[in-house]
Amino acid sequence: MAYQDLRTYLEALDAEGQLIHITEAVLPEPDISAAACAITKFGDKTPALLFENIKGYTNARIAMNVHGSWCNHALMLGMPKDTPLREQFFEFVRRYQTYPGKVEERDSAPWEEVVIEDDINLFDILPLFRLNHGDAGFYIDKAAIVSRDITDWDNPATQNVGMYRLQVKGKNRIGIQPASAHDIALHLKKAEELGEDLPIAICIGNDPLINTVAAMPILYNQSEYAMAGALAQEAYPVITAKHTGLQVPWGSEIVLEGKILSRVREGEGPFGEFTGHYSGARRMPVIEITKVSHRRNPLYEHLYLGQPWTEVDYFIGINTSAPLHVQLKEAFPEVQAVNAMYTHGLVVIVSTKVRYGGFAKGVGMRVLTTPHGLGYAKVVIVVDETIDPFNLPQVMWALSTKFNPQYDLVTIPGLSILPLDPASDPAGMSPKLIIDATTPQAPEKHGHYSQELRDPVSTEAWVEKLRELMPKA
Amino acid sequence: MTKKIICPRCESEHTDILTQSPVPGVWEVYHCEECFFAWRSTEPDFITDPAKYNPEFKLTREQLDQSGIMPAVPPLAKR
Amino acid sequence: MSKKIICPRCESEHTDILTQSPVPGVWEVYHCEECFFAWRSTEPDFITDPAKYNTEFKLTREQLDQSGIMPAVPPLKKR
Repeated sequence: MAYQDLRTYLEALDAEGQLIHITEAVLPEPDISAAACAITKFGDKTPALLFENIKGYTNARIAMNVHGSWCNHALMLGMPKDTPLREQFFEFVRRYQTYPGKVEERDSAPWEEVVIEDDINLFDILPLFRLNHGDAGFYIDKAAIVSRDITDWDNPATQNVGMYRLQVKGKNRIGIQPASAHDIALHLKKAEELGEDLPIAICIGNDPLINTVAAMPILYNQSEYAMAGALAQEAYPVITAKHTGLQVPWGSEIVLEGKILSRVREGEGPFGEFTGHYSGARRMPVIEITKVSHRRNPLYEHLYLGQPWTEVDYFIGINTSAPLHVQLKEAFPEVQAVNAMYTHGLVVIVSTKVRYGGFAKGVGMRVLTTPHGLGYAKVVIVVDETIDPFNLPQVMWALSTKFNPQYDLVTIPGLSILPLDPASDPAGMSPKLIIDATTPQAPEKHGHYSQELRDPVSTEAWVEKLRELMPKA
Repeated sequence: MTKKIICPRCESEHTDILTQSPVPGVWEVYHCEECFFAWRSTEPDFITDPAKYNPEFKLTREQLDQSGIMPAVPPLAKR
Repeated sequence: MSKKIICPRCESEHTDILTQSPVPGVWEVYHCEECFFAWRSTEPDFITDPAKYNTEFKLTREQLDQSGIMPAVPPLKKR
């Protein structure tokens, strides 16, 4: 049974020892981001944090680090919390491939309990805070944002649910970053060509799966809700928000409806980004909020991001790797697994069978030409099928020994990359690199690889024997 | 008349009180109409004090006006 | 007289019993005087049987004689 809202998921985390309640009174700054950063220092099994007493607010609560560990990720998928990362990846891929899942349209939702249409003040409704010291202000960075193509409104395939940073600039005025490569930028362009505003719904405090899907590089004509249904392995509940007519998650805590103002650009940023660097400031579009709906005593959720690894890296790890894995395997069934967990896939590690000399470099080229790879993959490391790409010591061994800089390094100039990559020059352009760290196969012939070490013959039996003898925790 | 609030980032005087804490008297949030910076009265002085604001993050309206536009505004389609 | 022991690696007959288990009768260790291979009687057959020994690891005395010397033996200095 999947979690249909944030509350039931937090209850499950609590029951598994994966939630810390912070009841002492905290200042919005710098306490909340400092604590959310501090929890990342405890490794990859950390609990979520729930701040229950925020100075200046009467009953606000803020959830942080909800996706911030592999334990929480496993629980989101309904798996035991100690499930190894590799197993979580393959289960995620298996469910992804059952797309489209079912979507269930419901008639009413808890978030319709409280409605505000006049004198909207987002600062009263949301316990907003500055995340990083250089941020331009108070951002919403973990909202599922819904939009549609206004020229093809009745076609649900154009509906998009994405996650874009939002700078709250006024009581009902929000700056948004709809990066050109993302689906919402297509919707905005079509509306702006007609001089019309783009209706938008901003959903905050969601079930953990829809946020995972909103941040996942799926194809333009794929539905995020049908993907959430596939990952949940049960119908995903949605409801049509009456003000805009957009479908939104049934389980959201808060839904903001409004419009992106046509042809308006205004100073936005900087914001500390998932690259571990600030974004700089640019002129970007502006949203006006015209209706707010929320559950009574709503839960606010925010994503922590800092110098990796932090919550954002767990949040966009497996959901970045899985689509790349599936798309790559369509071209090359020899591919075994894809690890694109480093900065949303700026570095991608692919494990593959190698059919003949040069094959691994071809697989690397294909990574660069997948829709996500075109904008993200900058360094592709290709390793043998015997290497687990999620096991970095194994990958480092392959780099250490299989890789010869004279034969195995391919640099491709003049490709596109996300402008947020601080190494890109100019922003948005970068050469890309393929590192072939596989064992050379005929007719390629360099190095001495005929005598690779193998596990002794009865090792597997001893693994089982020793597992029984291991001291129990 | 209270003293003018100077934007810690661009040092403009075109600032205003954006909101106040729901629990009265705990904090105020200010914003700058020139550079769109926002800050809370209870933040550390390296955020609220123009003299102590990190020089790497100082930003003027002129710089913003010369910054990139993202995404580009498309030409209006002919109807 | 027992049958001749053939080296599994270089297939020479110049082999000998190197040692025997301190507990009598459990195993013997053989060695090859040509290629310096050593093996125990109780190892898997892909180690002890010349016909099943991994061909990638077969090594003859001739190959050894032509292999590199490391480190090089320096010329004798005049005293």
